[in-house]
Amino acid sequence: MTTATSTDFHDKSGSTLKEWIFTTDHKRVGVLYLVGAIAAFIVAGIMALGIRLEQMSPGESGLINYFVLDFAKTMPTGTAYNVALYFHGAAMILAFLIPALTGFAANYLVPLMIGAPDVAFPRINALSLWLFWAGILVALMTFFVTDKPDIMWTGYPPYSVTTTANTALYVFTVHLIGFSSILGAVNFLVTIIYMRAPGMGWDQMNIFVWTTFAAFMIQIVFVPVLASAVTLLLFDKYMGTGFFDPTRGGDVLLYQNLFWFYSHPAVYVIFLPAVGLLFDIIATQARNHVFNYKACVYGGIIGILAITGEVWIHHLYIAGMPDWLRIGMMVSTLLISVPVGLLLISLWGTMYKGAIHYNVSMWYAVVCLFLILVGGLTGIPLAITSMTVHLSETSFVHAHFHFIMGLMATFAVFSAVYHWFPKITGRSADSAIAKWALWIKVIGTQVTFWPLFIIGVQGMPRRYWDYAMFPQFETYHTIATAGAFLIAIGVILMVGGWVWSAFYGPKTDSNPWKSKSIEWTHAESPPGPGNFPKPVAVDPYWTPYNYIEWDHDKY
Amino acid sequence: MLKRFETLITAGAAYLLMAGIAVAGTPHAAAPGGIKNPAHEWNIVWEEILWDLWIVGGIFAIVAIWLLVKFRAKSPDQVGSAPPLNLDKALAWALVPAALFMADDFLLAAKGWSLWNLQRTVPANAMEVKVTGNQWYFEYDYGNGVTDTDLTVPVGRPVVLRMTSNDVIHSFGLTEYRVKEDIMPGRITHIWFYPDKPVETAVVCVEFCGNSHSQMTNAVKAVPQADFDAWMAKKLEKKKPAAAAQPAAPAAAEPAKTQTP
Amino acid sequence: MRIGGRYIQALIAMAIVIAAAVPPAANAQYFRRPVSSFDTNVMLIDEKAFLGTKIDPATVLIDQNGKEFLWGDTLGKPVILVLSYYTCDGTCSVINTNLANLLKDVSAVRPGEDYRIITLSFDRHDKLASTSAFKTHLALTGPLAEHWTFATFKTEADLKSQTEKIGFKFFWSPEDRVFLHPGAFLFFSPDSRLIRVLYQDEVAGRDVELAVLDAKQGQFRPREVINFMISLCYSYSYHDGKYVMNIPLFVGFGALGAGLVTLFGSMLIYKRSARLGDKNNVEAV
Repeated sequence: MTTATSTDFHDKSGSTLKEWIFTTDHKRVGVLYLVGAIAAFIVAGIMALGIRLEQMSPGESGLINYFVLDFAKTMPTGTAYNVALYFHGAAMILAFLIPALTGFAANYLVPLMIGAPDVAFPRINALSLWLFWAGILVALMTFFVTDKPDIMWTGYPPYSVTTTANTALYVFTVHLIGFSSILGAVNFLVTIIYMRAPGMGWDQMNIFVWTTFAAFMIQIVFVPVLASAVTLLLFDKYMGTGFFDPTRGGDVLLYQNLFWFYSHPAVYVIFLPAVGLLFDIIATQARNHVFNYKACVYGGIIGILAITGEVWIHHLYIAGMPDWLRIGMMVSTLLISVPVGLLLISLWGTMYKGAIHYNVSMWYAVVCLFLILVGGLTGIPLAITSMTVHLSETSFVHAHFHFIMGLMATFAVFSAVYHWFPKITGRSADSAIAKWALWIKVIGTQVTFWPLFIIGVQGMPRRYWDYAMFPQFETYHTIATAGAFLIAIGVILMVGGWVWSAFYGPKTDSNPWKSKSIEWTHAESPPGPGNFPKPVAVDPYWTPYNYIEWDHDKY
Repeated sequence: MLKRFETLITAGAAYLLMAGIAVAGTPHAAAPGGIKNPAHEWNIVWEEILWDLWIVGGIFAIVAIWLLVKFRAKSPDQVGSAPPLNLDKALAWALVPAALFMADDFLLAAKGWSLWNLQRTVPANAMEVKVTGNQWYFEYDYGNGVTDTDLTVPVGRPVVLRMTSNDVIHSFGLTEYRVKEDIMPGRITHIWFYPDKPVETAVVCVEFCGNSHSQMTNAVKAVPQADFDAWMAKKLEKKKPAAAAQPAAPAAAEPAKTQTP
Repeated sequence: MRIGGRYIQALIAMAIVIAAAVPPAANAQYFRRPVSSFDTNVMLIDEKAFLGTKIDPATVLIDQNGKEFLWGDTLGKPVILVLSYYTCDGTCSVINTNLANLLKDVSAVRPGEDYRIITLSFDRHDKLASTSAFKTHLALTGPLAEHWTFATFKTEADLKSQTEKIGFKFFWSPEDRVFLHPGAFLFFSPDSRLIRVLYQDEVAGRDVELAVLDAKQGQFRPREVINFMISLCYSYSYHDGKYVMNIPLFVGFGALGAGLVTLFGSMLIYKRSARLGDKNNVEAV
């Protein structure tokens, strides 16, 4: 391999601020992604608290203005609420979930799992990180301009063009984080294809490596479409063009088509790595191999990859698309249940005849199993056109995607942080407080989102701060708001626990889970520059899950 | 080899069985004369889907709990003992579930599709009302010069709405009648519903449209035919003096787009 | 890092290509002829108000052969409706001739098979004689002669109510001894709804073709996939009264292509250099 390793560029043994900022080491890049993502998570989470407070009762509470730093209350309640909602959605997806999974987890784990000293292009990797941080800063400017964006994370025209609010901040955030993603995609696809340890075949990779591979395939193909759509939006708004203006020959629905052509696959950019993390965590904690690996990879992961580009119309079921298109995409959307079902069977089967060692990381993974069920199954009625005609744009949708993305993917990230905490810091983050934080969050999330399912079916619309026409929903909203504050308590305990443990947690040995995966077996904790003391090579029967040597002739 | 064949047969049989159930379970056409109410049908299909979800979810949840309890480690050094799958079993564990999931998908798709056809087939005797979306109110035009900002319809007659927007995208959400569709500038969309009993409900805008999005609502009143006629007569009465005051059609100079032979 | 450098170069080159492609596209959207400001709009059909309205399918019409038929009988396919008059009092309505000329340029859809054409008279004095005389006068040939119906309303009440319903205004100018009326082609969907209004002096054959495709309301048969694609490539501009290129679609496809090129390009570049590297390292393995 002609590839440079991180050691060529920088000595990473130092830990001054400058060495962290200018690092090209994939592990530090990964940690910095995590720090940015958690920061975005916290700010966006605070927005969520504001949203829930405003929704607690019909009519205005006026509190929401303070959350978006509008202390003089220059904005009407509705607009302040929309700003909070915009930031919550855009930041959670673009600045937390995608960077936490394809930034932090991919950066930290993929080179270690495939036995590579670093990624293929370490300096491009650093550039990705900087673009991500720039994206976060641009997103945060929302709070410091007077025309705060209020266009939701979807930014549909004509509203995003005719509103007096700022659309440019949204577009530039998408540009920066999108470009960061494309560079990351190039880097990781090349790394996974060409930099695996000698002897490591495709069927010997960790599931997480496979899911990262699939996620970046999606990013590299689809992100440019989103970037072009929002760029045309920018021209419409600030250069007077009429790309999406029907009176001037624009197609008012085309933005939605382009947006969801990317943004539905983006769901899998989040879902796949999250499930990949769960696979590796559960296989390790159960000391077991992945059940039906090939079905999981070629049926599940590649299956999703194959279907993901043909289902976006289910986001436009009530947007007046031709009937046959709505029906066709109903069938393709329903068929997603086949690859997802195969993934779940493999995930469940990985526990079969395992030896499950319970710790806080495993408990998070266990919770994820149930979150996947609720989130996945509630997607089924939403896939059916005639059901969505009523359910679309209600709290039911809101609760559905929060279960799958807001809860399952987020809990998977948290589970991963606990699981690889000994690898990253050399210390354990497992403690009674960590478990308390988990169960508080579990209760909080269920209390928050189940009422939303119920009132969603009864017609509670999404993105409403005033619901005077539905006063009967007030009790549910009040319960949901209480749940949101429980979640906040849990998050404070958890993040506080991480920070404390990073410095004072009990030290662990280099492979506390007795894992067979390369990042545990061949590298120290934390790994040094170049990752591995000796170059890694694997034999043809090695897998990251070979806890028992089976007779290869027989199996 | 034979065993692999068996797998395929099992998968195929399961698939055919489910497909048969799907066809059998498809709702039939409405009784002659009567109008099928899409809102009622929605409720029925929703209940059936809920059963489907509870069964699938229940099986997965129970199996998960069993696995989590049964296979907990008994000692710190214990490792898993599941043998790798041989090819037959691996294929079976992929194809059989895939066939079952697919069969369930087609069952649901068939149910969804037949309801969809009902939702999109406007009865011939439907009353038509034009809806115009504005930031942030709906406007109703009954086609006879009567306009209003609430929607009043007679009980027992299907209503079809012809909808467009003057500014941004809105969406016409009728919870009571289980139907909604976006309202877009430059485009026309349709929905229909069947008010089968007198009731007053609300329509809500369900596509984000700015500051007062959550206050873009008005009453939808389904009233008995007699009350509706009285209401309409009153509206027309009010309309008359205004109409009389309007100047006659202007005999303007010949417009450019007017053709002269 | 040679490869990394080359890679960045490729990315920058791509950015330049995209940046160069966008401004012309933007100009095409932006620099339009200004709106004419005279107030003859009273004669136009107010599309915003009348799109989606229906002519009652039960309206009775009489064709050039004196046969009665219902408006509803013509439906099931898109219909181009021309409202005109047949009495050639020295001069004739040229709108029909114009449409016939435009339809010569239409090839993607065929009369009879994909759409029907109907001319209806709004002159209550038009009777069977003037109707058939007019069709003869027009001297249509081929499928147009076969599938173009010239008809009158059976009752004056229908004439008044149905034209009013779709917002069509006309009046007799005694000084000029002509009818003043919009020179409009009205496109109806298979279920009788008004989908598009085009004005004869602004459009080309392509616009008529696209309006027929529009009137199909997305109900394309599988073999019409090409027509469906064509209809996606254009969208209607209310400002210009005709169809214009749907630029964002092409930009979107271009972006998708750029993504695919980046994906496969990066693999190819790396693969070649990796192979070279392997040759050098062959001893080590």
